[in-house]
Order: sequence, then structure tokens, then C-alpha cells
Amino acid sequence: MSGGMSGPIRRSASVRRLVAIGVTLIVLLSPFLWLLQMSFKSNDLILQFPPPLIFTPTLQNYASLWQGAFPASFVNSLMSASFSTALALILGVPAAYALSRWAGRGKHALSFAILVTRMAPPIAFTIPFFLFYRWIGLLDTVTGLVLVYTSFNLPLVIWMMQPFFETVPPSLEEAALVDGASTRVVFLQIVLPMVTPGVAATAILCFLYAWNDFFFALILTRTNARTAPVAVVNFMNYEGWEWGKIAAGGSLVMAPVLIFSLAVRRYLVSGLTAGAVKG
Amino acid sequence: MIKKNSSDKSAAVSRRKLLQAGAATLGAAAFPMPVIAQTKPFAGVTLRGASFQHRFFTLLQNYIPEFEAQTGMKVDLQLSAFPVYNQQANLELSSGGSAFDFVNVTFILAARWVAAGLLANLDEFTGDPSLTPAQWNPKDFVEGAQVPYRDAKGATYGYSWEGGAMVMGLSRMDLMEKKGLKIPKTFAELQQVCAEINGVENVTGIVSFQLHHWCLPPYIQGFGGNIFRNPPTDIMPALNSPEAIQAIEFYANLLKNYAPKGVVTYTEDQARQALLTGRSNIFIHSSAWITPILMSGDSKVKNTSRVVRMPAGPVRDFPAANSQGLGIPKNAKNKKAAWEFIKWALSPEISMRLVKEHGHSSVCRKSVIESEEYRKLNTVNGQDLGALYLEVLGLPAKGENYMAYRTVKEFPIVGDVLNKAFEQVATGQLAAPAAMNAAQEQAIANMRRAGTAL
Repeated sequence: MSGGMSGPIRRSASVRRLVAIGVTLIVLLSPFLWLLQMSFKSNDLILQFPPPLIFTPTLQNYASLWQGAFPASFVNSLMSASFSTALALILGVPAAYALSRWAGRGKHALSFAILVTRMAPPIAFTIPFFLFYRWIGLLDTVTGLVLVYTSFNLPLVIWMMQPFFETVPPSLEEAALVDGASTRVVFLQIVLPMVTPGVAATAILCFLYAWNDFFFALILTRTNARTAPVAVVNFMNYEGWEWGKIAAGGSLVMAPVLIFSLAVRRYLVSGLTAGAVKG
Repeated sequence: MIKKNSSDKSAAVSRRKLLQAGAATLGAAAFPMPVIAQTKPFAGVTLRGASFQHRFFTLLQNYIPEFEAQTGMKVDLQLSAFPVYNQQANLELSSGGSAFDFVNVTFILAARWVAAGLLANLDEFTGDPSLTPAQWNPKDFVEGAQVPYRDAKGATYGYSWEGGAMVMGLSRMDLMEKKGLKIPKTFAELQQVCAEINGVENVTGIVSFQLHHWCLPPYIQGFGGNIFRNPPTDIMPALNSPEAIQAIEFYANLLKNYAPKGVVTYTEDQARQALLTGRSNIFIHSSAWITPILMSGDSKVKNTSRVVRMPAGPVRDFPAANSQGLGIPKNAKNKKAAWEFIKWALSPEISMRLVKEHGHSSVCRKSVIESEEYRKLNTVNGQDLGALYLEVLGLPAKGENYMAYRTVKEFPIVGDVLNKAFEQVATGQLAAPAAMNAAQEQAIANMRRAGTAL
């Protein structure tokens, strides 16, 4: 039937599709684009109504952001998100592999128990974490944040990675074992390279969780370990909101995730889809 | 011989001197602290304090090195955004923490913190002459600004560093004069001026912002009503009284008819910008937000502005007042050092320096506000802002303490309900009587759920 479609009809369908894609993109990207254009405006222009779309851009907001305490917060965010992601992967990926290869009776119960920790809302853990951290002196430290994020990301890693390992045929591992490879070598050199897209996708989700977290960072930090999302809120002052800095800070907070996602987008797409179906 | 004797003598003296010097060195090494303590009693103490970011603290930080040099202590002042600070301090104090030696007692949290016993009683410090010299004079603070920091028995838990007096800013007196309009002094005149100016040269008659439980009560009280029946003793909500309903209708009509679209959800900053740029003629809010139309470099309406008392209601004239204070957490580790800091930061000398050197006028020392220097610095376009500030800030302490509703620890619960009810009326979702009857029921239910016996 499609072969019977005439040229103008096909062209019209294609135009409609392009328009639909364009509209969808605008709708999806408009909050981000709005934030971005705000970051290049002076406070006067930001609050002007109707908002001017053509204006002389300024880097003043970014410059003033960089002169304050924001860079330190940015580094704190980067450190807590990176270390917690790495730690969750180091602990969670082998655990997921072991669970995927384990055929014992307690497998499902254990998997479920691991997931239970993700079922309660974060607020349920906040106050106990706060009191405990104050007691052991981890309040306002990057280490404290890394531990919190790791504890929340670990179940995610274990649950996300299991289906990826299940897609790897056990016969490959058996062949390597017959050839004299140790379990460690089998895992690191044969199985792990085959689930790289899954690891990348999981890493991004872990990084995103830690990077975007506001609530734990708000409660568990003060000034030393303050993260970028909290630092952005810090521009909402009693005497007025620094809209330009909020927009510039928000844009900068998005940048690392965007760059990271673009860098691994090939793995991300295949990772998010490949693990969904058992091979 | 002589030479020898002399030499011996000199050797003997030298040994004695050496021994004396040695003993002195040993003595100094063994007891160094008391000697230092005589001059710097808090040497080695690190004082931890927290507040939200505010110009007062930014300016105070310039003077803190002087305080550190005088006392020997080190001050670690942590400043965060208003919502961030409130969240963190509330959690810290509520969980009995001792991370901070002094804190800002935020106005909206003061009643709860004082009632819950989270702060140290400062009367113990002011009542001890060895800790507080008579010239510090606690009674020199503007009485109205001190009201939120007292408990039911009158004990003081904080001293105010900033006062906010509700005043009316008019940005386009030029337009008003063209139309032959005078500054409104009553609610009726306010409505008339808003109606006459609205739409002229694209200016709206009035602007306000989303904190309705701050903006609205002066209207409720102006019509003769109140938030509670008789606060702080009788805290039964009084949201559906005929006076409260009348006030809601009046204020909602002002905003519906003469304010910019979306004003119900405006932030303070949006409203202030509307006033500073002359896009809106009237803004009734705390002096700290209104006086920039005369004082700020951002103001485009300096020559056409007036800052005056807010209009009086048909029954009462109760402009709101608030303040921010400094207090000491009950479990603070360095209470005496913290008091030393508070005493210094809120001394008449520092207050005057803030006024003179930085033009920071919202201090709470009466002796400073009433001084000639202050009056000179704060008289702009012939308007004595200091006198206006002092007059409004002092009103709650004269006669009826009409700001008592803000000191009721359940006020935030009722305030939230009031906010929602007002939004329903202002957006036309509900008529005022229906909204306020529902709000009354909701407020009672929420208070009971929070454990309040009514």
C-alpha cells in the first residue's frame, strides 16, 4: 500500500511529521531554553514584561557566579556524584553478576530485599541520617554525601545490571573456565565488556540521582560540602532573588550531565533498551 | 683584683638574671592562659553562628575582625539563603543540636522556637552586670520589634537586628497630582486612588505578592477582625468573622481590579521591581522593601515617590510590623561567647556605624533611630523615614499588641489556610464567605491534628 502513495502525499506526511517533531522539541526544550536565555540577561531584562526575546547578552551572571562560592559547590557536586557512582558500580556490578548466576532458593527474596530500600521516600531516611551523621561527625562532608548516594544507588545498580548479565550466555563463561581462566578473569575480561552499554546506562542514572539531589544535600550539608543545586537555591535571598545567577547556576548545573550523556549516548540508548529483553 | 671581683660579680649577676629569666619563662610556659585571658577572655574559642544572607550580616562581616581582635575568639558565621537557612536551623534546633552558638531567630519561626524552649533565656545574661554592662541597655531596642522574642511570661529569647514596618510606597505621585489625587489615608481612599490610576500610562493601581498571610491581616484588623479570637490567650481562629470576610473581599477586589495579572503569585522581588520601575503605583509592605524606591540606585521613580503610613481601616489602624533577631540555642556550647557577640553586634556603637558608614537604616536601637545623625541621613525628599519607621515599629507595643497573632506558634498553620482561601477568592473560584467558612473549618481541623487543644 505504501508503495502506492503518490509523491505529494508522501511529502505532505513528511512535512507534518517534521512539524510535529519540531513542536514537540520546542515544548520539551522550552524550559531549558528559557532558563538559558535568562542566564544571559540582566536582572532588569529578566523581570521585564513582555519578556524581550532580542537583547544584548551579558556574561555578567556567569562571571559573578564564578567569583563567589559557587565553584566550590560545583566541585562538591562533581566529587559526591562521581565517587558515589563509582562506588555503587564497584560494589553493585559484581553483586548483580553473582545474583544473576545464582540459582539458589533465596534469590528472589534477596533481590526483593535489596529493592525494598528504594521503596521508602527519601524523607523517611533524612532525619535518621541527619542525627546519625551529626553523632559520627559526617555532617557537612562530601564523604557523608557519597555514602548516602551510594546506599541509594546500590540497589538500583544491582537491579538494573541483573538483566544485562542474564543476556550473556553462560556457555561463554564455561568455555573460558574450561580454558583455565579464573572466575575473576571471566568476569572482568569476558562478561563485563559484553555489558558495557548496561554499565554506562546505569552509571548515568546513578550520576543523575546524586547530581540532581537537593533534599539530602540541603539537610546534610552546611557550607563546606554544599552542592551545586543547594548553592543555586542560595541565590534566593531575603532581600530579593538573584534571578540571573539562579538561571546561570541552573544552566551550569545541567552542563556536566548533558556532556556526560552526550559522550556515552551510544551506550545509553543501547543500554536502556538491551537490558529490557532477555537474550 | 678589682677586675676579677668585678668579673665575678658580673658573672654572679648574670647567673641570677639567667635564673630569673629562666623562671619567668617557665612560669609563662606553665601558666600562659590566665595572663592572656585577662586581656582576651575568649581566646581560642571558635564561635559558630548561622543566619540567612542579609545585608546586615554582609556589612557586619567587615567589623567582625575588630571583634575577634578584642575578644580573641574566632567567628565562623555561616550565611545561607532564606529558605535554606530556615530549614537547616529549624532541624538543628528541633533536634536539640549544638552545632551553632548563635542563630538568627527568623520572625516566622520565632513563636515556635520560643514556645518550644529551643532558645536560651537571654534575661540571664542581661540581668548579670558582670556579663552585660548597664550602658548596653536592653530597653533601648524598639519595643515593637522585641515582641516576637518574648514568651508568655515576658522572658526574652532574642534581640532584634532588623525591623520591618509596614508602610505604603507610592511610585507615581506625578500621575496622582495630575489627577488631583491626594495620598490615601483610609481604605476607601486607597480604593479610589487605585481605581483612578489603574491603566494610566500602563501603570497598575497597586501591586502585592504571594505572602497573603503577611499582607492581609492589617486589612482584617482594619475592618475590626483578627486572625485568632484574642491572641495569644484565645487562639481559636476567627477567619470567618464578618470583618475578616469583608477584609478579604476588599483586598481581593483591589488585586483583581487594579493589580498586574498574576499578582496573587508574585514574589516580593517581582512586586518591588514593579514599584521601582513605576509599573505599579502602590505597594504596601515592609519598609525594607519599600524605601528602596527612594534610596536604591535601581529606582527609576526616585523623584516621583513617597513613602508614607499605610491607610487606616474604618475601625482600626494596625499596620503590621516584624523583626529579625539574634538568639542563642538552648544547647549551644559557647553561650557566654555567643552573648558577647550578640552584645557587640547589636550595640548602639555598631548600629550607628552601620547607619553612618553604610546607610543601613533598619536597625532597632531607639537611641540610634532618634539621633540627629540618623534623621539627617534618612530624610529623603523631605520625608523623615526614620520617624515613620519608628512610629510604625513601635505601634504594637503601644496599647493593644495587635501583632500578637504572629507570636502564636500555630500561626503558620492558620496562615497557610488563609493563603489558600485568599487565592480562591482573588481568582474568583469561591466567594469570600464560602472561602472563609471553609478556611475556618480547615484551620481548626489542622490545628487539632497538630495537637492544639481548642
